[in-house]
Amino acid sequence: MEALDVSMPEEARDPFTLDIIKNALAAIADEMAITVARTARSFVVKEALDFSTALFNADGELIAQGTCLPLHMGAMPFAVEAIQRAFGGDMRPGDVYVTNDPWDGSTHLPDVVCVKPVFMAGELVGYAAALAHQTDIGGRVAGGNASDSTEIYQEGLRLPPVRLYDGGEPVDAIFRIIARNVRVPDTVLGDIRSEVAACAIGERQLIDLIGKYGKGPFEAWCQELLDYTERFTRSEIAKLPDGSYRFTDWIDDDGIDPDPIVFACCITVHGDDLTVDFEGTAPQVRGAINSVFPFTASAAWACVRAVLDGDIPNNAGYFRPIEVKAPERSIVNAFPPSPVAARGLAGFRIADAVMGCLAQIVPDLVPASGGNAPEAGISLGGYQPDGTPFVYLEFLVGSWGGGPHRDGMDACTGIIVNYSNTPVELLETEQPLLVERYSFVDDSGGPGEYRGGLALDRRLRFLYDEGIVQVRSDRRHVPPYGLNDGATGAPSDVRIRRAGGEVEQMPSKFLTPLVRDDVIEIRLASGGGYGRAFDRDPERVLADAREEKVSVSHAAEAYGVVLGGTPLAIDREATRARRESTSAGR
Amino acid sequence: MSFRVGIDIGGTFTDLVLLGRAGRTITVKVPSTPDDYSRSIAESLEEALPRIGIGGREIDEVIHGTTVATNAILEKRGVRTGLVTTAGFRDVLEIRRLRMPRLYDLRWQKPEPLAARVDRVEVEERIEHTGRVLQPLDEGSVHAALDKLFDNGVEAIAVALLNSYVNDRHERRVAEIIRERAVDVPICLSCEVHPEIKEYERTSTTVVNAYILPVVGTYLRSLERVLRRLEISGPLRIMQSNGGAMGVDAAAAKPVNIIESGPSAGVVGAAEIAAKLGYEDVLTFDMGGTTAKAAMIEGGRYDRVGELDVGAGINFGARFLKGGGYHVSVPAIDIAEVGAGGGSLVRVDAGGALAAGPESAGAMPGPVCYDQGGSVATVTDANVVLGFISPTQLVGGELAIRSDLSAAAIREQIADPMGVSVDDAAFGIHRVANATMARALRAVSSERGRDPRQFALMVFGGNGPVHAATLARSLDISTILIPPVAGVFSALGLLFPATEHHFVRTFKRELADVARDDIAAAFAALEAEGAGALSAEGYGADMTEHEHQADLRYRGENTNLTVSAAGAVDDPRVLAEGFAREHERTYGYRSDEETVELVNLRLIARGLAAEARVPDSLSVAERSAVPVQGGDRGRTVYYGAETGRLETPVIARSAVGAAWVDGPIIVEEYDSTTVVPPGCRIRRIGWDTLAIEVGPE
Repeated sequence: MEALDVSMPEEARDPFTLDIIKNALAAIADEMAITVARTARSFVVKEALDFSTALFNADGELIAQGTCLPLHMGAMPFAVEAIQRAFGGDMRPGDVYVTNDPWDGSTHLPDVVCVKPVFMAGELVGYAAALAHQTDIGGRVAGGNASDSTEIYQEGLRLPPVRLYDGGEPVDAIFRIIARNVRVPDTVLGDIRSEVAACAIGERQLIDLIGKYGKGPFEAWCQELLDYTERFTRSEIAKLPDGSYRFTDWIDDDGIDPDPIVFACCITVHGDDLTVDFEGTAPQVRGAINSVFPFTASAAWACVRAVLDGDIPNNAGYFRPIEVKAPERSIVNAFPPSPVAARGLAGFRIADAVMGCLAQIVPDLVPASGGNAPEAGISLGGYQPDGTPFVYLEFLVGSWGGGPHRDGMDACTGIIVNYSNTPVELLETEQPLLVERYSFVDDSGGPGEYRGGLALDRRLRFLYDEGIVQVRSDRRHVPPYGLNDGATGAPSDVRIRRAGGEVEQMPSKFLTPLVRDDVIEIRLASGGGYGRAFDRDPERVLADAREEKVSVSHAAEAYGVVLGGTPLAIDREATRARRESTSAGR
Repeated sequence: MSFRVGIDIGGTFTDLVLLGRAGRTITVKVPSTPDDYSRSIAESLEEALPRIGIGGREIDEVIHGTTVATNAILEKRGVRTGLVTTAGFRDVLEIRRLRMPRLYDLRWQKPEPLAARVDRVEVEERIEHTGRVLQPLDEGSVHAALDKLFDNGVEAIAVALLNSYVNDRHERRVAEIIRERAVDVPICLSCEVHPEIKEYERTSTTVVNAYILPVVGTYLRSLERVLRRLEISGPLRIMQSNGGAMGVDAAAAKPVNIIESGPSAGVVGAAEIAAKLGYEDVLTFDMGGTTAKAAMIEGGRYDRVGELDVGAGINFGARFLKGGGYHVSVPAIDIAEVGAGGGSLVRVDAGGALAAGPESAGAMPGPVCYDQGGSVATVTDANVVLGFISPTQLVGGELAIRSDLSAAAIREQIADPMGVSVDDAAFGIHRVANATMARALRAVSSERGRDPRQFALMVFGGNGPVHAATLARSLDISTILIPPVAGVFSALGLLFPATEHHFVRTFKRELADVARDDIAAAFAALEAEGAGALSAEGYGADMTEHEHQADLRYRGENTNLTVSAAGAVDDPRVLAEGFAREHERTYGYRSDEETVELVNLRLIARGLAAEARVPDSLSVAERSAVPVQGGDRGRTVYYGAETGRLETPVIARSAVGAAWVDGPIIVEEYDSTTVVPPGCRIRRIGWDTLAIEVGPE
């Protein structure tokens, strides 16, 4: 054995063993994640990676999380807590518990959480858990993400914490209930099996790890790991300037009522404590874009992490110095029976509001708002020619806002949702769709000294006779914000080019039938700019023009930079004149 | 007398191993010459040949591993590359898969695309996923697109059209039109470079190939000139990432295959030596100055993956979180890499914990003890303080070591802030580096469902044998093998591989529906391609071997598992059981009621040597094995708080006998140092290999 005998209490402060256990736990959580990614069946899990894995100690404290989806970070502890509450002393080896109740740690019905208690010699030593976004969960709209439901009961199958495996044996009743309620049972059960497989891998590895140290010492190490993480986090918070910082952002509407929905955030830094308070945020809304508290807290925690040292481990110790407050029955802390299916949108705007505060606290790091969360969700459902249902679910990610010292990245996922896209060729093989375009939109980046990332354009032609598409998008009326006098990003847009040729301008959130050869055209919002556009280095404008990301006319109009000639060059005289004459308006 | 030469060029050193029929071995290590790598090759050969008194004519074959392709990508020294795409998909290359390689990182910057947007042009055409032509190729649009590329002055052109993996007609027609207009410009078609589904992955692979093709071609031609000048007329073969070698022309046409050529040679060599010694299941561990690499050999075979992320940088999550670098889809030995090596910088983080790497002191300034200006403590400094590495001179005696500087740096930067002794801080650094490196070993074993304890650990690379025993102990591995010439082992490994060409054909359908004749026909077509490639390199039908493989998955799964397709030509159903068994072993379950899909058929065409390529034993020439000149013959070494400092004898490999000797003991050689702590024992077994049995501390 390694020199890791921790029977001596004072050795519990040995920082080397701590580091080794920290790495080992992180590696196990990642191994679980790899298992899910490799064995899952749906695009949304295997290609977009909308899932998470985690390990907990016997008390249900988060001790490690896979490098998956930050927005799940704070939710899974609530699921383990709910399962402990429901089954307390009644668990045994080989059990797996499942729930998708938003108020029991799932955050919306499509997220199915599986939790496996881990035993050694008959004693509970921890939990392995996985969460994955299912392609369908039943309910009135295929895909489980409709924003126009008005109560949770319309949104699909809702499982309280129940046994999925009982002492190693599958509980057939639960599998049958799920299979009967969802439109694509093979895909959903395949994804749930991938979660169970990940939990089994986590269980096996956790047992090996604890076996090296003994249960008592391991538990002591876990406490030390959480304490270490808390110390680390506090020392990082202490570096931030004390004070209260406020920022407000909006969602266009909930798809039912036309009014903008306010997200108010105030971050208070006091020594090594930090509070994120959403007082002043709108009440819960009728449409299904309400967030439950664990989701709100996850978004806040994830954003704050981005301004602290990247080596802070992912565990419960990180949460301790950061308090999240959300008014009850608001859109950031909805109560049942509120609909919550499309709560992702609230999460993205929560993150935007939090980042807006952080931009004041760490001005040298935080960029303007972008479209780098999955801002547009498309659920397309219907029946194949043989009568079996199909569901296509895709979330589209755009670009970053401009930031201090650099332009926003064109097409890249953001820090709260490490999402991916679905390959066009794969999509065409498995869904009744032909992709007509997937590209940047020229001239679309929010102007600034540092430009916002370009908007993305995706066009899907429907190839069956009939179907229904539901789109949840935003940033139509309130585009992504700029910072330091940078312009906002370009707003989003959705149109349907009908088979007959007419083009229908759609609202940001809608549900509509499709027929063969209808084309859905989705343009995401672009990133906001950072700093005054007229302060942008003309060389950068020239480089953008040579790259054909900015046209000559847009360069003059938005940046006051006059370009001409072959090869393209800056007309410095004309640029100076233009910037001087129009700068008052910029 | 006839000799074969393996030459491995790394970023810092060029290693050469010259092997005679009877096992006579010469090793040479010279600094690499990045401005023209072929120069260091000339220098190493000019040093080696006179030492055994032979001329270039006595060299039968040169096998080469090189970082030249990788460096061209990392240092952006490729050529200006144009890309022709389907209309509407110009930006696929730059949009990538969107993902970030690190969570919560506001500073991460995605890499610049290797074909700029202005050099990406669209043509009007569309092929469906079934292969049906939806919109014929508009040749006018091709000419317009090419006008622009030629105006821009591109020096290579990649063509990647949607769904070309099922129907390559449009890509081939575009190539014809390019050729009509420009005789010389290199053209890379995605249907040839990587004919598989997923447009980003196929496009990126094709663009990388085009981008480095002229650079690699120029290099290979200048290397051929060097060899001609030295009158070496035997064939030059280039190592591929996949574990096989290939001829110069093939490498020049598909340089994307040689990106990981050096590291893969180490794994191939390890597999061969393990087999000679009777070990079937081995984890390999290769530790250099900046990174450590691990691979798994199981049942005598190593695993391959289908893709590499070039220049991704190195971090713990790298194997799960892809997207940091340039994607290339090529078969490559599954090698996990972490940013920990002898030069890794050590620091105490804000939470008070110790961390090593991934930043490295490199060769310049190097560790503090080199006294070349390095001031931040490194893993090597810790090993010097512990006495694991000679505290007075680098092995070989060519560089003096200042252990006092190491101790001072560790005291000031680590020991005092953490409130521990210098020895304990050094031992802590050693263990923290092990913890990081253990993640590479886990990535290729436990992440693939294998228990590392059931493997022997074969260790090489300049710093590997220093850490071998403590690393094995932390993973409960009981057997360590240190092969001969461990410090230049990848160069030796180059002398083992057969010539290999890999071919793949997408064959997507339900396994239950696959007819015997279809599989037979597909493999026959692949074998014809394989025979063609091999005969171009001088292998007749009697010197050719074909291996059949198949990629399968449960319907809807993301990742295929590659299994042997031996016998599938007679009965495709053998694939079902092979796949189910592999699925259970890798992921812990099989699911016999689910639909199994056959996704790809693969062929490995091997050119076999006329006679055994590797002798039964090795005798390493004097200089490599000679004990350190003026080196200390024993020193006190610190093995942790429990054991404290112990007097430890220092001996040469040749002094290790066939009987077990208990540690503590240190074996010091020209190119590496092997540490045998107390509780472990060592002996010398076949093929001049050291075996260490790891016991409890």
